[in-house]
Amino acid sequence: MSATRIEVKDLVIRYGDAVAVNGVSFTVDRGEHVTLLGPSGCGKTTTLRAIAGLEQPASGSIHIDGYAMYDASARKNIPTEQRGVSMVFQSYAVWPHMTVFDNVAYGLRVRKQGQAELKANAERALDLVQMRHLAERPASKLSGGQQQRVALARALAFSPTVVLFDEPLSNLDAKLRAEMRVELRELQRRLDITSVYVTHDQEEALAISDRVIVMNVGVIEQIGTPEQIYNRPRSRFVADFVGSANIIKGRLSADGLFATDGGVTLRATAAHKPHGKESEVAIRTAYIDLEARPGDNHVPGTVRQRLFHGDFVQYVIDSALGSLSVRRPPVNLLDEGAAVTLSFSSEHCVLLEA
Amino acid sequence: MTSLTAEDLKTRRNWQAIITVIVLLVVGFLVILPLVFLVEESLNVGDPMAFPPEAYGLKNFIAIVDEDINVLWNTLIIAVMATVMAILIGFTLAWILTRTNVPGREKLERLMELPYYMTPLVGALAWAVIAGPKSGFANQLWRAGGGSGDLVDIYTHFGIAWIMALFEGTVAFVMISASMKSMDPALEESARVMGASKLRTMLTVTLPLVMPGVLGATLFVFAEMLGSFAAALVIGIPGRIYVITTAIWDSTLAYPPDYGRASAMGLSLFVVMFLMLTFYRRMIGRGTFTTISGKAFRPRPMDMGRLAWVFFTFCLLYVLLAVVLPIAALLFTSLQRFATVILSQAEFTLANYQTALSLGPVRTAMGNSLMLGFGVASFGVLVMVILVWIIYRSQLWGRGSIEYLVMFPQAVPRLVFGLALLWAWINIPIPIYGTLWLLALAYFTVMLPLGVRTLAGVVLQIDKSLEECARVCGAGWVYQMRTVTLPLLKPGILAAWLLIFMACVRELGASVFLMGPNAKVIAPSIVNAFATSGTELTAAMALIQTFTVIVALAILFRLTRGTTKELS
Repeated sequence: MSATRIEVKDLVIRYGDAVAVNGVSFTVDRGEHVTLLGPSGCGKTTTLRAIAGLEQPASGSIHIDGYAMYDASARKNIPTEQRGVSMVFQSYAVWPHMTVFDNVAYGLRVRKQGQAELKANAERALDLVQMRHLAERPASKLSGGQQQRVALARALAFSPTVVLFDEPLSNLDAKLRAEMRVELRELQRRLDITSVYVTHDQEEALAISDRVIVMNVGVIEQIGTPEQIYNRPRSRFVADFVGSANIIKGRLSADGLFATDGGVTLRATAAHKPHGKESEVAIRTAYIDLEARPGDNHVPGTVRQRLFHGDFVQYVIDSALGSLSVRRPPVNLLDEGAAVTLSFSSEHCVLLEA
Repeated sequence: MTSLTAEDLKTRRNWQAIITVIVLLVVGFLVILPLVFLVEESLNVGDPMAFPPEAYGLKNFIAIVDEDINVLWNTLIIAVMATVMAILIGFTLAWILTRTNVPGREKLERLMELPYYMTPLVGALAWAVIAGPKSGFANQLWRAGGGSGDLVDIYTHFGIAWIMALFEGTVAFVMISASMKSMDPALEESARVMGASKLRTMLTVTLPLVMPGVLGATLFVFAEMLGSFAAALVIGIPGRIYVITTAIWDSTLAYPPDYGRASAMGLSLFVVMFLMLTFYRRMIGRGTFTTISGKAFRPRPMDMGRLAWVFFTFCLLYVLLAVVLPIAALLFTSLQRFATVILSQAEFTLANYQTALSLGPVRTAMGNSLMLGFGVASFGVLVMVILVWIIYRSQLWGRGSIEYLVMFPQAVPRLVFGLALLWAWINIPIPIYGTLWLLALAYFTVMLPLGVRTLAGVVLQIDKSLEECARVCGAGWVYQMRTVTLPLLKPGILAAWLLIFMACVRELGASVFLMGPNAKVIAPSIVNAFATSGTELTAAMALIQTFTVIVALAILFRLTRGTTKELS
């Protein structure tokens, strides 16, 4: 048995003349949790729905466990209900005309499970989300958070091997969202399911994924672990969209250093093998110190503006690199006008692919 | 994983395709075929009863202009008068009820629906009783009060237009108030903030934004007026004022019936109406003025002070003229031996109801209508649900044209459709002409737009992912329809059922042509009774029909209120 559970290859999806997904390829391993991350309209949800069989691609292929679910060249398109995947919808899609129990037991009934087995499985799923005490409640009488849990229990009840999540937390308020994130991550580990998750929330993506796929205008920008995506953004888009970063223009000099347009020379790192045409480096706002540390790149500057956010303080620093944003812990506050030394290691000064 | 066997799934998969194909074939056959026959017959210049025609030509069309020019003239005058009145009524009501602080606004808005459920036929009969020359109640009172001659005469062009306007006014109201309600009040408020006066705001912002809605309503109402039949039949024929619909009817009564002429007139009417409705759809769909965002706003009502009570009276007056007065007049008439409004001469009796309910033909007609209503509504809704699902939910190629096909009967005047069906089924060698079966087919076809529109409103409200989720859980199409779609559609299905039931019980235009001696229905029977027996008996029959509709209506309101509560 190979480790690959889902394989998406050269997927193209069109709506009329518009291309929503333009040649996307990736694999998801058994038990892995992969997140498709990107701004709205980047094709992430469309890709997910294509895996579920809810969108008809124009070309490419989708394999699950080695079986072709969609294959343009073989003219094969297995209907949704036969793919054996499960899905949690953004709107929850909890059926308002059924009880919580009936919602959760739906997939089991479709599979014609016997009464005893069905009850046991449905209750086990309800236990997973701590909703068993509400089993007999009509689904129309649930709060948003409860509906979320029912949707999750329903998606897990028939023991699917693949679960797809379409922005399942986006309709919850911030606090509940943070709680559910923790729970989801724990469930994934416990149940050993393979999942593909869609979100536009970069924090969420980084927090709960084994790997993140960053998408933009229908193509993949970068695939990697959350740490790779954050620490080694490949493109300007990824550096901007995930976390916050300062982008500094310049060019590679012959000795492998980066000469900025402002005349500063920086030591930088690259995730790829540089080809010499690169013109930008990214420095994460969180990785810049305002006191000189030995071994770092050093640039003098002055504090132009201080924005107090509570969990952190954001400074805007004027320097030879331009004005840079810097995030520091909310202690030892610096006043506007103070002279500082920008200090960041070459590790954190990432050369972006041109 | 509990897997489903491949064979299971294959059979389930095919069901969707099979049902889709059957439904489309049936609907296509029902909608298109009669019109093909209509076109064919309109070009028939040989023996009008021969099929297929012996000779083709345009003689029938030329004859309309040559011989029936005064009919066209009457039609135009009446339609224009009626449209102007209906739009005035509709605009005023819409403005009062959406933009002013008229007292009891919500209750009044509910009341405005009532005229819609009164049939124009009942209205025409009632106004004949109220404003007929000599014996009309108004004229009786006028003479009793010392006046001479007649105060009013309904048997005129204006009379016909007046009745049509009263009953179409509520349609104009609904359309215009929809465009008023969908206008974001911020558009007006920002004009005020920029320093414009109330009047200036009204002239430069409100009116231009509402204008497309008003024009659309005008076009729609005018098209309806051209094809309207009931008032022209009840009032026009005794008054010798023929419009195109009654002329069509009349030429089929001649001996031998001139189906060629009737078809040519019907087809011309259809083409005109079709063009107008297409233009209307374009205008509404174009959306250069996108005030209709699908979101209903409640604009801040203007404070009208004392004037509010004047507006209040206007609203009540409309309901009084369109509903209360007609029903009262009919009730009063039906309870007397000889209808009079002078109480000292009145002889009250229940005999008319006894006669109406015991008279064989009336009873069978009523029974037939109820039976058709039940049958067509029950079977029809089932087919319509599938149609709606195909049009708005499936991925089927060409589903847009299916919508067009289904909505098509709306552009065909009922009467013309009846005529087309008559000619089609005289010549199709399946002997259902003159039976209830043909009426059932006709009703189903003409009710398609009504039912599909009602159901579509509900289907579009159902979040698509509710259905998709069922598929992801492993359900096939039939299972998903049964466990998710249909239960969620239940309120819509009930509403559509009742609307279709009501419409069937009231149906006149198509029925007049398709009714056979052994398959009578109630609305044409009422018209017959008006022509042949006394107004008193007619009034009783009309009220029995109205009462049936009211019962259905009461249930409808009950149900819709129940479901809105449930959903909120």
